[in-house]
Amino acid sequence: MKTKHWGLLLLVLVILVAGAYSWFQGRQGEQVDITGYIGGEKIGLVDDPEVKKILMNKKKLTLNYQKAGSLDMIRLDHGGRDYLWPSSQTALELYEKTYGKPPQSEIVFNTPIVLYTRQMVSDALIKAGYVTKKDGVHYLDMKAFLPVLEQGERWESLGLPLYGPVLVSTTNPTKSNSGNMFAGLLANMINDGNVVTLDRVNEVIPRLKALIERLGYMETSSADIFSQFLKTGVGARPLVAGYESQILEFAHTNPEDYKQIKDDVVLLYPVPTVWSSHVYIALNEKGKIGLEALLSPEIQDLAWKKHGFRTGISAANMDVSNIAVPGVAPLVAQIIQMPDSQVMDKLIKSLEH
Amino acid sequence: MKINSIKKISKIFIILLALALCLSSCTDDKKETTGNPTIGESNYPVTLRIVSGSENKELEPLLQRFSKENKIALDMKYQGSVEISRILGQDNIPYDAVWPANSMWISIGDTKHRVKYMESVSITPVVFGIKESLAKELGFVGTQVSVRDILNQIQNGKLSFCMTSATQSNSGCSAYIGFLYALLDNPEIITSESLKQEGLRADIQALLKGVDRSSGSSEWLKTLFLEGDFDAMVNYESLILSTNEELLKQGREPLHLVYPYDGLSISDAPLGYVDQGDKKKEEAFLKLRDFLMSSEIQADIQKYGRRTGYAGILPENLNVWRKEWGADTQNILSPIRMPDSDVLWEALNLYQTEFRKPSLTVYVLDFSGSMYGDPSEKLKDAMGEILLQDRAAKNLLQASQQEENIVILFSSDIISISKETGNSDIEKLYTVVSKEKPGGGTSMFEALDKALDIVAGYDLQNYTPAIIVMTDGQANGSMSIDDFLRSYNKHGQDVPVFCISFGDADVKTLNKLAEWTHARVFDGDKNLIDAFKKVKGYN
Repeated sequence: MKTKHWGLLLLVLVILVAGAYSWFQGRQGEQVDITGYIGGEKIGLVDDPEVKKILMNKKKLTLNYQKAGSLDMIRLDHGGRDYLWPSSQTALELYEKTYGKPPQSEIVFNTPIVLYTRQMVSDALIKAGYVTKKDGVHYLDMKAFLPVLEQGERWESLGLPLYGPVLVSTTNPTKSNSGNMFAGLLANMINDGNVVTLDRVNEVIPRLKALIERLGYMETSSADIFSQFLKTGVGARPLVAGYESQILEFAHTNPEDYKQIKDDVVLLYPVPTVWSSHVYIALNEKGKIGLEALLSPEIQDLAWKKHGFRTGISAANMDVSNIAVPGVAPLVAQIIQMPDSQVMDKLIKSLEH
Repeated sequence: MKINSIKKISKIFIILLALALCLSSCTDDKKETTGNPTIGESNYPVTLRIVSGSENKELEPLLQRFSKENKIALDMKYQGSVEISRILGQDNIPYDAVWPANSMWISIGDTKHRVKYMESVSITPVVFGIKESLAKELGFVGTQVSVRDILNQIQNGKLSFCMTSATQSNSGCSAYIGFLYALLDNPEIITSESLKQEGLRADIQALLKGVDRSSGSSEWLKTLFLEGDFDAMVNYESLILSTNEELLKQGREPLHLVYPYDGLSISDAPLGYVDQGDKKKEEAFLKLRDFLMSSEIQADIQKYGRRTGYAGILPENLNVWRKEWGADTQNILSPIRMPDSDVLWEALNLYQTEFRKPSLTVYVLDFSGSMYGDPSEKLKDAMGEILLQDRAAKNLLQASQQEENIVILFSSDIISISKETGNSDIEKLYTVVSKEKPGGGTSMFEALDKALDIVAGYDLQNYTPAIIVMTDGQANGSMSIDDFLRSYNKHGQDVPVFCISFGDADVKTLNKLAEWTHARVFDGDKNLIDAFKKVKGYN
């Protein structure tokens, strides 16, 4: 009798617990928490309260992240991660080579690689004939500029009060995407302006290696190098490779700060340049929800207006009339393809000591 | 049958219950066991544990204000940037935020990608501060100066200077790499090959001989400078400016700031959150970041001689950068390019084991009765961290080829004196320490006096000397501190006596000892290994 009572009591308790558990599970079904790796340049977007709110209201989604370089994240342990969000097709190709096709992947938005500099430097480059200004947009002739970089010409010889050789600071091409893409662009330029193919790669490597090794220690995050460009002044970082989106986002998020540097900071569009495609890789079913959410019109709209990423099918040709940043090219037409992933792999391996 | 299955279910239930209990208690266990925070009250709902470069100590008044206004306590721990970088690579990081002098140290150390929200709080360049009259005499005023120009004067014996240890502190590391560039005739980048270039070793050794005093941290270098009488130091612009304010107050000659045009380096003071999944801490961190980055506080930070914002120094703060000191906010700063991280480590290892001025260290270790048991075991472990070279290498604290290490063990009398030159047999000293058993009294000053006699046998021009005394009690030999200080003066050598206090050590006496000899007291109670590592970083 006694045992029976106890048993019944326990049974009731177990039922209650089970009920509570399944109720809890049910609620969990509505609310999705995903986590993954993203490139630093998208942190402003995913940390944007407005973006967070839309994800929560429309999709009951919380997008957690850890910052990692686009190539780094492919190699990292993916345990407990639902998605990867690198900044290039190369990263996706690298993923597919290692793990096979992911459950889902798609480009969320694009942005071209640009160079950031200061008025004094851009004036000197215009004077020297490397940069031309058309309709307020600065274009850097990469073919003409390559010898300047390769021959180690000095800033002084361009008439600038700066010390040291002319260099483009980039993030580490073996770890981070913007550096990687700029290295791909340099490789193409070394290859006479043609996309480097497998049969040409060995000829390109020594010259590319020489260019990159001169940079010494390189930052691993595009966001960090951009903020250093803004804060440490023209002497420390005269010329920096980055994403076009970075200045657009900065101007929108920090209008007061931007006002102070607006007249001094200049965007140079390399001719040709390369597109950085921010491709989202879902690692599992949960991860797919993130992709769907990011492709929703509301997020896509914010991605351009607040964070400067070119979205939609007309990414190459955007309406820039409402943009606070002067010198943004509406049309980025002169594009060169990145070398394919096999070639990039060889190039990058050669840079990894 | 029915009862059986009920029993089974109840068993499962009990297991579940136990598991639930365990889980809840396990999370309880996670609660920190740290003591009182250094800023704010321990009863504030959140405490942020921050490991920071020592140069940020000057900003504590701002941190106190933040803490009070937001009821968020801050537990500040000051460490060199190299150490912070190393901590970031560990599995367990006992901090919620890092604040080194340069973002490079986060990038290198954060291999597990746990740092987020990293933002540069302020900018300050590493510069030379040289006594005004001497700077004039050397022709460094009102003209462009290169690192090479400064090195020439050091090599000519016209200038000696203080710097922090290149392997412990960002400012010392920057200066050292800057020297390498200049000695190598400014190559585009320092490579592994260039480090092996002929003549470099002799050049850099000769140069580093000009180092009067070394320090493990930039902030303490300032303190040391103010206490002593030195020609020059390499430090952050912000700390040289505040040193000058202090020198003026004392009626002493200020330092002239020299910004070499071929550059040293720029500190960007990045503050980053170490994400270990605690939402409350994350919120608290973001509040701290937003506070420090707010325009009001960014303007305040300029009053500490740090550059903030995008548009230069605000007019009302320009008076901090006094023109008559050579301070200049308009000049373009061209920092050196740091070599690739592999090359950097190679350069730092070379500094530690070959290039730096050899150290002459006398360890004076208490083996009195009160050290019996746990304290002496901890002491042995800590000495292992320095003397066992594999362990020392992890913290870039290895011995060099020319350095001298002497170990004096004492209780009522001196128990033993052991000496090793160079780094090949230094581990023998560890054997001596590890074999000893404590017992007897504490004749500390007799042992220290012996240490002075030993130091007197060396030409201190060639060494960075230090006596490191570790004790857990009151000296009770026949010699008093005053007897000892008389003897110290009679010896007439500039040897710092660093003190590591442990247990019931007489801290008042140790403070007096350290102050008199321009040294420091380290608290070994919280972490004896840490204290030894720190003190070793000073020479």
